[in-house]
Amino acid sequence: MSGYVITILTQIAIQAIVVCGLNVIVGYAGQISLGHAAFFGIGAYSAALLSTQAGFSFWTALPLVLAICALCGLLLGLPSLRLKHDFLAITTIGINFIVQALFLYVPFFGGAMGISNIPRIRFLGEPLRGAHFLYLALACLALVTFGCWLFTRMFAGLACFALREDETAASSLGISPVRFKLLAFMLGTMCAGLGGSLYAHYMRFVSADDFSFPLSVSFLAMLVLGGMGSLLGPLAGALVLGALPELFRPLAEFRILFYALVLLLMIRFQPGGFFGQGSVLRRRLAPLLTRRRP
Amino acid sequence: MSGALLEVRDLAIHFGGLRAVDGVSFALERGAILGLLGPNGAGKTVTFNLISGVYKPSAGQVWFDGRRIDGLPPQAVAALGLGRTFQIVRPFPTLTVLDNVLAALGVDRYPGCSSLWRSWRSPRERARAMALLERVDLAELARRQAGLLPLGHLRRLELARALAVGRKLLLLDESFSGLRPEEIHKLEQLIRDIRAGGLTVLLIEHNMRVAMGLSDRIVVMDRGRKLAEGPPEAIQRDERVIEAYLGRGGAADAP
Amino acid sequence: MKLFIEQLLNGLATGSIYAIITLGLALVYGVMRILHVAHAAVFTVGAYLGVAVFHATGSLALAFLASMAACALLGVLIERAVYFPLLRFPPYVPLIASIAVMLTLEELCRLLAGPQILTFEARLPLPSLDLGGVHLSSTLLAVYLFTAVILALLWYLSNRTEFGLAMRATSQDMAIASAQGIDSHRVISLTFVIGSAIAAVGGILVGIYYNQVYPTMGAVPAYKTLALIVVGGMGSVSGAVIAALLLGLAETLLIGYLNVPFPRDALAFVAMIAVLVWRSEGLLGSR
Repeated sequence: MSGYVITILTQIAIQAIVVCGLNVIVGYAGQISLGHAAFFGIGAYSAALLSTQAGFSFWTALPLVLAICALCGLLLGLPSLRLKHDFLAITTIGINFIVQALFLYVPFFGGAMGISNIPRIRFLGEPLRGAHFLYLALACLALVTFGCWLFTRMFAGLACFALREDETAASSLGISPVRFKLLAFMLGTMCAGLGGSLYAHYMRFVSADDFSFPLSVSFLAMLVLGGMGSLLGPLAGALVLGALPELFRPLAEFRILFYALVLLLMIRFQPGGFFGQGSVLRRRLAPLLTRRRP
Repeated sequence: MSGALLEVRDLAIHFGGLRAVDGVSFALERGAILGLLGPNGAGKTVTFNLISGVYKPSAGQVWFDGRRIDGLPPQAVAALGLGRTFQIVRPFPTLTVLDNVLAALGVDRYPGCSSLWRSWRSPRERARAMALLERVDLAELARRQAGLLPLGHLRRLELARALAVGRKLLLLDESFSGLRPEEIHKLEQLIRDIRAGGLTVLLIEHNMRVAMGLSDRIVVMDRGRKLAEGPPEAIQRDERVIEAYLGRGGAADAP
Repeated sequence: MKLFIEQLLNGLATGSIYAIITLGLALVYGVMRILHVAHAAVFTVGAYLGVAVFHATGSLALAFLASMAACALLGVLIERAVYFPLLRFPPYVPLIASIAVMLTLEELCRLLAGPQILTFEARLPLPSLDLGGVHLSSTLLAVYLFTAVILALLWYLSNRTEFGLAMRATSQDMAIASAQGIDSHRVISLTFVIGSAIAAVGGILVGIYYNQVYPTMGAVPAYKTLALIVVGGMGSVSGAVIAALLLGLAETLLIGYLNVPFPRDALAFVAMIAVLVWRSEGLLGSR
């Protein structure tokens, strides 16, 4: 595998981890988040600062990064309890701008220069590069995906589904919207934080520009295209939308236009996503996917 | 009054200038079936919403099993053993019938953080859910996606969920509406069985024959207020009640 | 003092421009409950068409008319081809579609006209004024004038015509409006026509006022106007206008005049969050 392909796959893997988190918030719990890139950024900056300023390694910093992101997710979840859908969507857009402004203007975060010289991740004494880093990213992705699968089997997962389907009915069945919405936000932002930490150590340089609103849209688009609420949706979406710009590279000038058109056509004609309900793919694969339960 | 399972005292709620419920009081004894009747717009469903916690009252109190519950959120009321159905059915459409009931069974089983590591698919839970589905005659459709079911089946699913939650009191909001005659008959029998099993029932119903037949006592509401209260025979003869129904174009519903 | 007045007037002009752009968005949200982010791209297309027609014919009036007509058509096209078919899906679906449309239109502008900044040197047929030492350029006055006229026309349309009634009924409840015999879809399409035409006017005014037309000129207004309709109260057009004027003033006075070290573009969202914390349905929204 060439270095180029490894690079692309690593980016896709990192993005898939982040989108898995978004899937918990939007796909499982039915909330809206157009500010997910902000948490990706919070994770990245936390990891960057902890490693460059405080000497933490990726591994020792990880619990802290996850905790920070979980706390931020909790804060984000609070408005979701009071605000209705569209208000919440716009608030999350605003979170993007505000967090980005914080990264840009507060000197502690390095301002416009960002944070550089982030050390590589060391595993068993060896710094990870190239294919080895890809393995780590894929391992994390597998772990996160497995975690999501476990989540759907625990009652917390069912509670989130119920809230997504009908909050009033769910609450009348004893499911607390407060508890489970906040839980979903926290889990989702923690995944974004993990992705951010990997990103920081991979690029070895972070700046505010990397975490802007268009990236949040990208994440949401990956989730929607892959199939919201499905287990493999985030992976499929990240793969397709991550690979597309590269596939369109020969088109040079017309790259973004094609990307936008593909996104538009897909969302217009298959809003359920690849693995979502009623999608073409699902219907074709249905005989393979349904297993008779005892 | 003190032995009552449910007691509503001077309950009121205003939406802007509209007094949807305006000082309603009644009590419900354990093991009884109380019918809440009245023409359209009388405030019956609003009263249910006030009792179950969907709305917070502007005035008045709701007492359930010796505890004051007005102002509590719906999930807290449900945890106390009060289950309800909705006038317009609210299934979880993309989940299966079985999963709909399994969601309801979690009402008091996952304290603290245990919902994160305890599965909802254990054989015991499934068995409990299937038992409930058997009671409402939906066991065969357990694997069907709820959103695909016709209204009659959805009403039964609502009831199964409410039974899962309501170990003390059931609030049934027009559960008979849209059902075929044989379904109505079965449901009547089921409610009688439920009461025989020790549950208390408060029901809103437009089907007069059913309401009069099932209820021990009736409360009639009109324009947010209590119009009359008493045993079915007395209500059927009550002139104010008849006038309320006829005068509002509810002639088809009139007792 | 003179500087303050100048900045005040500038702030009012900025606010007026925000108001014009937000109007279309608020109208569309009112009748369809869709966050029409692509509105900002319609605004951009309006600016480009205005510049093109002006350079081709030398007539500003023609530029306005042609641009308004074309954008009106574009707006309806977007509504019919993209939004209406997606109404039955959860709200994030039309939102993503809208963002995709916006990207597409921006890219088309960039590919057809080039990424460079075009100038829009037009003289508006208004005199410039000098009041007490403060100079008001003809462009500034034009912005005020256009805004006032548009708001007045819209007020008249909304409150004194049958269409306005239909629009308000549809925005309250589409189902009930249909039951009353109102053709909701026609109302929606016409709302897009009006909103998009106004966006075209906004685009041309912005192009002339700042003397700049470039492909991403809609990006920042796109998201700010979203914050504005939240602050104003979703569905309240007058609330959005007031919020727009206030934002224009706040941005210019706080950051331009008082030099508060705060990122200008984040102010809209901070204000939004502050308002939402105080009143969760916005300034003039209904509970």
